[in-house]
Amino acid sequence: MAEEKSEQKKLSRRQFITGAGVTVAAVGAGAVFLGNGRNAEKAEDAEQASQALEGAVPITLKVNGKAHNLTLQPRVTLLDALRERLQVTGPKRVCDRGTCGCCTVLLDGEPVYACLMLAIDAQRHEITTVEALGTPEQMNAIQRKFVEKDGLMCGFCTPGFVTAVHAVLAKNPNATLDEIRKGLRGNICRCGTFNRVFEAAVEVAREMRRA
Amino acid sequence: MAQNAQWPDRQASRYLGKDIPRVDGPSKVTGAAKYTYDIVLPGMLYGVILRSPHAAAQVRSVDASAARAMPGVVAVLTDIGRTARFAGEEIAAVAAETEEIARDALKAIRVDYEVQPFVSNTLRGKDIPDRVGEPQVNSRGEDPDTLWALAAAVVEGEYYVPVREHLSLETHGVVVRWDAEDALTCWCSTQAVHGVAGELAAGLGVPRQNVKVICEVMGGGFGSKFSPGVEGLTAARLAKAAGRPVKLMLDRYEEQVASGNGPDAYMRCKAAATSDGQILAIKADLFGTGGYSRRWAVPFPYSTYTVPNVRAAMHGVQTNAGSQRSLRAPGHPQGCFLTETVVDELAVALKMDPLEFRLRNVRGGVWDQQLRLGAERIGWSRRASLPKSGRFRRGMGAACTTWGGGGRGGSVCEVRIGNDGSVWAGIGTQDLGTGTRTYVAAIVAEVLGLPIERVTADIGKSTLGNSGGSGGSVTTASVSPAVMMAALSARERLAQTAAAMLGVPAGEVRFADGNASAQGKSVSFAEVCAKLPSGGIEVTGQWNQALQRGGVGGVQFAEVEVDMWTGGIRVIKVVAVQDCGYYLNKLATESQVIGGVIQGIGMALLEDRKMDNGTGRQLNPNMETYKVPGSLEIPEIDVLLFDTHNQVTGIGEPPVIPTAAAIGNAVFDATGLRMRRLPMTPKRFFDAQEGRMV
Amino acid sequence: MNNFAWLEPKSVAEASQALKQGGAALGGGIELLCLLKDSLVTPASVVNLKSVSGLNGITANDGVEIGALATLTQIAQHERIRGSYRALAQAAESVGSPQLRNVGTLGGNLCQRPRCWYFRDPEVHCLKKGGAKCFAVGGDNEYHAILGGGPCYIVHPSDLAPALIALNASVSTNNRAMPLEEFFRLPAQRMDSETVLEQGEIVTGVKVPAEMAGWKSYYYKARERESFDWALSSCAVALRTSGSSVQEARVVLGGVAPIPWRSKEAEAALRGKTLDESVAEAAGRAAVAMAEPMSENRYKVALTRNVVKIALLEALK
Repeated sequence: MAEEKSEQKKLSRRQFITGAGVTVAAVGAGAVFLGNGRNAEKAEDAEQASQALEGAVPITLKVNGKAHNLTLQPRVTLLDALRERLQVTGPKRVCDRGTCGCCTVLLDGEPVYACLMLAIDAQRHEITTVEALGTPEQMNAIQRKFVEKDGLMCGFCTPGFVTAVHAVLAKNPNATLDEIRKGLRGNICRCGTFNRVFEAAVEVAREMRRA
Repeated sequence: MAQNAQWPDRQASRYLGKDIPRVDGPSKVTGAAKYTYDIVLPGMLYGVILRSPHAAAQVRSVDASAARAMPGVVAVLTDIGRTARFAGEEIAAVAAETEEIARDALKAIRVDYEVQPFVSNTLRGKDIPDRVGEPQVNSRGEDPDTLWALAAAVVEGEYYVPVREHLSLETHGVVVRWDAEDALTCWCSTQAVHGVAGELAAGLGVPRQNVKVICEVMGGGFGSKFSPGVEGLTAARLAKAAGRPVKLMLDRYEEQVASGNGPDAYMRCKAAATSDGQILAIKADLFGTGGYSRRWAVPFPYSTYTVPNVRAAMHGVQTNAGSQRSLRAPGHPQGCFLTETVVDELAVALKMDPLEFRLRNVRGGVWDQQLRLGAERIGWSRRASLPKSGRFRRGMGAACTTWGGGGRGGSVCEVRIGNDGSVWAGIGTQDLGTGTRTYVAAIVAEVLGLPIERVTADIGKSTLGNSGGSGGSVTTASVSPAVMMAALSARERLAQTAAAMLGVPAGEVRFADGNASAQGKSVSFAEVCAKLPSGGIEVTGQWNQALQRGGVGGVQFAEVEVDMWTGGIRVIKVVAVQDCGYYLNKLATESQVIGGVIQGIGMALLEDRKMDNGTGRQLNPNMETYKVPGSLEIPEIDVLLFDTHNQVTGIGEPPVIPTAAAIGNAVFDATGLRMRRLPMTPKRFFDAQEGRMV
Repeated sequence: MNNFAWLEPKSVAEASQALKQGGAALGGGIELLCLLKDSLVTPASVVNLKSVSGLNGITANDGVEIGALATLTQIAQHERIRGSYRALAQAAESVGSPQLRNVGTLGGNLCQRPRCWYFRDPEVHCLKKGGAKCFAVGGDNEYHAILGGGPCYIVHPSDLAPALIALNASVSTNNRAMPLEEFFRLPAQRMDSETVLEQGEIVTGVKVPAEMAGWKSYYYKARERESFDWALSSCAVALRTSGSSVQEARVVLGGVAPIPWRSKEAEAALRGKTLDESVAEAAGRAAVAMAEPMSENRYKVALTRNVVKIALLEALK
């Protein structure tokens, strides 16, 4: 069993690194899984289970300044890897088709939809999520202003908006209301917090200018 | 004490009636808040549901043998459903190590369907007799057909408001963990933790007290999330079979086809008014679908107007589409749009100012006041001078709203104060983004004279006292009185202890700024708590009807700009006058109104659940082609909170009701084009121009 | 999504080989991930074109050369493109949302599949997917074609393509080069794809010729939802003018035909004319003179007439 697993790991690594001219065969179709009734209590068990999945490959994701080693199937999206594997749940899954912005993360500082990126494709990039922008005890200026102006209600779209506002203001600290609106056109809020999100962003920009 | 309880004067209060930043704000803006969708438990499996691709079918057999054999598949259920009444109805389910594997397994399940005929939508179904239910007739006064000759103006037409979807961003779903053979914990994205617990207990055959439902934060419900649904029960059964926790969250397709919708309304209407500007009579035939059932109605004519003579027949149309569920002010946006359009047409036919016509026909003084206030605020007198020719034309329109918003009895709030100074308030209610958690904390903080951060507001658990589901805009008026009474009760007990410490009568003790004071002496709140009986105090507060009230009006005015070359309609400004009684949190109350207006704009300009007549499937089960307002669709929204009395009233729903009507009326004012069919897309604009109405 | 292998070819030849063996080409991933998630494609492997170097540059030499993996944001913000080929910058800016533009590529935008809701529904076996009928005929065709349709009535969703064709761009693949106008195929010519690409063939880039820099160009896109939406109807124009007299015109419609639709009729109505509102109006009418609306999309005729007019008048400003 042990040899089988390490053989699988070897194959996985090779296919990942070279890929050159290799039509990759499915790995370990009869691999080991947690059978019925066994609880994977430990992270190692879960990680082992993942490694045993067909075609799973090791990857490294740099998230909020920290490198994480994961083994997953290439079809896992960056969003699902963040949420389900790393439990970085700030970015939300809502439409899963790049139409709502709730999964917005920064890729090397640029806002992108994590749902439309494969985790394996996000390697070698710096991934930043809302969690890196501040904590409940130490919010950043944008987050504080959202709370002050009530730029949130249910909050499900809020991480996406905070991240998108951050991206707009990082690129353009003098952003006008019009530019802020345009920078946020890839984000949807169903509760209807737009007006106050705009207010918050405009005021952060104004305060940054004064500083 | 009950008779004396009242909300504090806004001038003198610290929190209540003012802008209170949400206590859950910091966790939401930093991504720390954990929603049901975010939960990952050790050993957790992912559940997914197999759904009928056919709009109407019987299931002859389900063969899941290939699915069961797949690596990573841990549990399979094949008995979820045997009949499909719409494309998307639940048939079977799988739990697997990853969601990807679970969805692979769904594809491996072989279902033998006997496909049947279907009808997809109201516009077809209304002409098929055995799809149409018995009419429900709304009748008063004389038969309008006897009165047309008396009228100075008669208008007639066909109108249509399509099916809309809730589009909650967090989909429906649960995480279920069995804690014992007959006990479970269920995290559920819900508006009703107690309701869900009760349904799970009944559906699974376990004692109610062994079911714990948790929903501390949730990503929107708008009326669709009162039940665990098929997905909740299925997840629980999968978890039982697997012996492991299961997370089952609907994906966006499922959410849009199978988690409810707000029904449509098709209407043929003839209406008349007298020469002195009174609505005389309305006769209408209305049809709509709530999905497979034949039950359907909308409030028509909308009750904000006096209409003496009415015959309005409501017919439910059975269609093979997802079932209706309450959608924020159920039926009212539809009834209001239909009524306000007809009202506006009558005004125009009489060559009367539509505002004046409304003032002559609204049913009560509150709308009269609000219409005047709103008209002044938007600058109704500018109307005639707005550009009415050329490429870009502008206009204004108005509409009225009404709702209940009173509370219901039964809410109980518990407050516990520890010897260590800790303050805890618990009530089994929900915060949908409505700000419940914040005002629970704020009320207690206000009454006890503490900073709000000192109060822990515990909600969203079925282990706390039942406060009912959050719908109908009843929550605030149900919860806040109970919280107030509990806080007052706690303060009374604290006052006794403080009085003994200060050597003063208990009635003279005042709690403010973290202290208890009387006769120039004071002790800190913490010191008082240390002197409480060992174990602190626990009190409860019951709903006090004197602190709340139902019945609101409201009006909205819209100013629009229409691009005559592209049919593009841009809402420039909405003035929303919303009466609301005593608002606990000004910030959150205004946000509710703004949010309602934005959903109303969606209804006016974009939203339309489309079913295909040929395939029987939904054409737009996604957020690409089911469209809602984005950042460039948002106008200036001016909210006037019209607080006419000192009792709490809920206003979650009334602000969504009149917006589409106001916009439609504004479009007419700008262009002379009457939009009788929503949404007002460029297609509908050009269709209206060329006389293609519905 | 099906379970696939991940390949990172180091050269165009390797990538081409991988595609021939059943791989799907991945640029930014915006289109491919949606096709994968809806199980509209089930490739054995996904071939990451981004691991091939040299495909993502934008080079301003005499004209401008844009690599297939240049992102929409890069195109929209490129100084030379904004200055000399305005319609292209506008078209790129109009695509999707900022998040999509940061990742979406030129190649992906040109090669994307249609948005038709019958096509996108994995349970509907439509003509384009090898089935027997086009469900838009007699169905909900409000977003479908009014020109060039039949037997399939999709509209081409690309914003870049009309602008590039108006700017007389040429496209290169690993095998050949051609005017971009010749890159697309009507359903009557080819059903399983909207382009000429053969299996294993990869777009490597486009080139916009130097002489087009002197033309006045504009891209106008009419949408239901301004924030972020596909075109209901769009128009790219490029005008070689002398004063406000049009010497030569190139008018290309988007969102109304299965391919980016070059309107020779509109161009003829402009040649030699002084461009004012009535001439623009006439060109718009000419553009839709041959339109054949379907049961639900008659509005596109009037809308397109006006979209052409708007693009022309804006181009002069």
